[in-house]
Amino acid sequence: MKFPRPRRILLYALLILFAFAFILPFWTCITTSLKTNQDVKSTVPVEPPTSPTLEPWMEALNIMEKPLLNSLTFTLLATIFSCFIGSINGYVLSKIRFKGSDMVFLFFAIGIFIPYQIVLIPLVLTMSRLGLYNSIEGLILTHTAYGIPVCTLLFRNFYKEIPDSLIMAAKTDGAGTWTIYRRILLPLSSAPFVVTGVLQFTSIWNDFLFGLVLARGTEALPASVALANLKGTTTAFWNVQMAGALWYALPVVVVYLILGKYLIKGYMAGAVKG
Amino acid sequence: MVKVVIKNLTKKFGEVIAVKNLDLDIKDKEFFILLGPSGCGKSTALLCIAGLIKPDEGEIWLDNKLVTSPEHDVQVPPQEREVAMVFQDYALYPHMTVYQNIAFPLEVRKKSKGEIEKGVKATAELLGIPRLLDRKPKQLSGGQRQRVALGRAIVREPKIFLMDEPLANLDAKLRVRMRIELKKLHQKLGTTTVYVTHDQVEAMSIGDRVAVLKDGVLQQVSTPKELYDAPRNIFVAGFIGSPAMNMLEGNLVKKNETLMIDLEVSMFELPTWAEEKMKEAKESKVILGFRPEHISLAKKYQKNAIEAKVDMLELIGRELHVHLTAGECSFVAITMPTEDVKVGENVWMVLDEEKIHIFDEKTGEALI
Repeated sequence: MKFPRPRRILLYALLILFAFAFILPFWTCITTSLKTNQDVKSTVPVEPPTSPTLEPWMEALNIMEKPLLNSLTFTLLATIFSCFIGSINGYVLSKIRFKGSDMVFLFFAIGIFIPYQIVLIPLVLTMSRLGLYNSIEGLILTHTAYGIPVCTLLFRNFYKEIPDSLIMAAKTDGAGTWTIYRRILLPLSSAPFVVTGVLQFTSIWNDFLFGLVLARGTEALPASVALANLKGTTTAFWNVQMAGALWYALPVVVVYLILGKYLIKGYMAGAVKG
Repeated sequence: MVKVVIKNLTKKFGEVIAVKNLDLDIKDKEFFILLGPSGCGKSTALLCIAGLIKPDEGEIWLDNKLVTSPEHDVQVPPQEREVAMVFQDYALYPHMTVYQNIAFPLEVRKKSKGEIEKGVKATAELLGIPRLLDRKPKQLSGGQRQRVALGRAIVREPKIFLMDEPLANLDAKLRVRMRIELKKLHQKLGTTTVYVTHDQVEAMSIGDRVAVLKDGVLQQVSTPKELYDAPRNIFVAGFIGSPAMNMLEGNLVKKNETLMIDLEVSMFELPTWAEEKMKEAKESKVILGFRPEHISLAKKYQKNAIEAKVDMLELIGRELHVHLTAGECSFVAITMPTEDVKVGENVWMVLDEEKIHIFDEKTGEALI
């Protein structure tokens, strides 16, 4: 066996160190979530629990069940809506030229850079006038609208890679604008749908600010806000908080586990012509 | 009767004029070729016929129906033109099988399942691809993709075929085979076809008539034979034929009532038939053109022959290409492989005087 060179050893040591630093908070989160209130006080956070219990998990779920369902509902729907609208926009902006289409696209691109904070007050006013304040529908609408620019950009760039001759062929074959989208572009769009979908799902799921200002009470409360509320005002139940955080992280992990394989394919799409 | 009539067609892309005042009259059942170097506007013209591009000026009539006219605000969409197009990159739908690709135009037209199946089967049979129907385009070779693209065009029995360099992406051998098949297919179906290519050999071999374009301007429309025998200007003369026509600059002069061309290396006396045609010509700069196969080589001086030095010999199977120079100019002559010439030797090029061409140097137009 060849002995590894010193530089190799150094590299691996460094990598292990980074990995350790990365995994430490996660590890602490898991150990703490499995501890009793007694354990939390008597042990150091990184220590494993002396008498493991699922009690904090149940308690956290009890509090977060409704918000988690809320979040799942509006995140899934807003993701689907914004992806579809983005895909149709992308099709129009890349394959159907009209006067000022580049200008329209520029406005979409600018939309990506509008910070959340700027729109908060008009947003709350609009939502309350629409009667959508403190409702799941309001959150769906907000997140869909806010996601359209980035979705449009991603889909447009993907559709740019699809040769124009394909669209021209479909036109001479007799297909109209909508048929071309439904029969030609949509079936070729699985890669951008996965990429954009995961991106949208994560960003909507992780959103805190919109949820905070648009929801009161429990009715439409997103999980991100509910999680923040877990920290309490006088005493901190670290184990319940950690369990809540893990519940909150679960859906995103599941999404990545299911779609991870396609995600890499999606990122690679466009790099090599198919 | 499916005619295509194009009147005064002009298309600009910004400042660039892609097609300029194009007039074409394509006859029923004709295999019509648009030929020219890349960027000459031939594809643009084709896309205008298909309705995929809106021209700036002019009219297009398909089958006695006005389909394009910016002046009258007429622009029939491609879906309603009953034209089928074959693209250079085939443009097959990558997510569909061969069957689905060929069936697509019928499905879009809401044909019944039975009709679709019958149509696809018959088309596949005609093109010899019934065994490929379940495959995806990715699993096909270039030639097979080409057939599928043709199938998709044929299946709905369009009034006109438009083909945009359909053979350009195939290797040389396959291209020759497919070109013969295309010609046969056209004879069988009799559909009016407009075919774009930059390959003059392809154009000459399959076209009933050929339109030569340069920089968006029509140069000549003729049968391939006429294009070769009587090019209307220097561009057509140089573009058609391989190796290209030999060109030699000179001055048209009149000496003792006979017309001659002073070629600097020698004097060339015009034959009677040419002189007849050029009675009115004034003394001016002209270009003498002659095809490589219309030269014979002589060892000794002959009247009207041009002395030249043999530079290089290329034996190409059944013919010998002799590269020669005279003064600053170089020439190619095609002779029998048995021709007795050596590199470095001085010979006299004797031109077939029936087959010479004379062009005006300034305008490029043919004078005889």
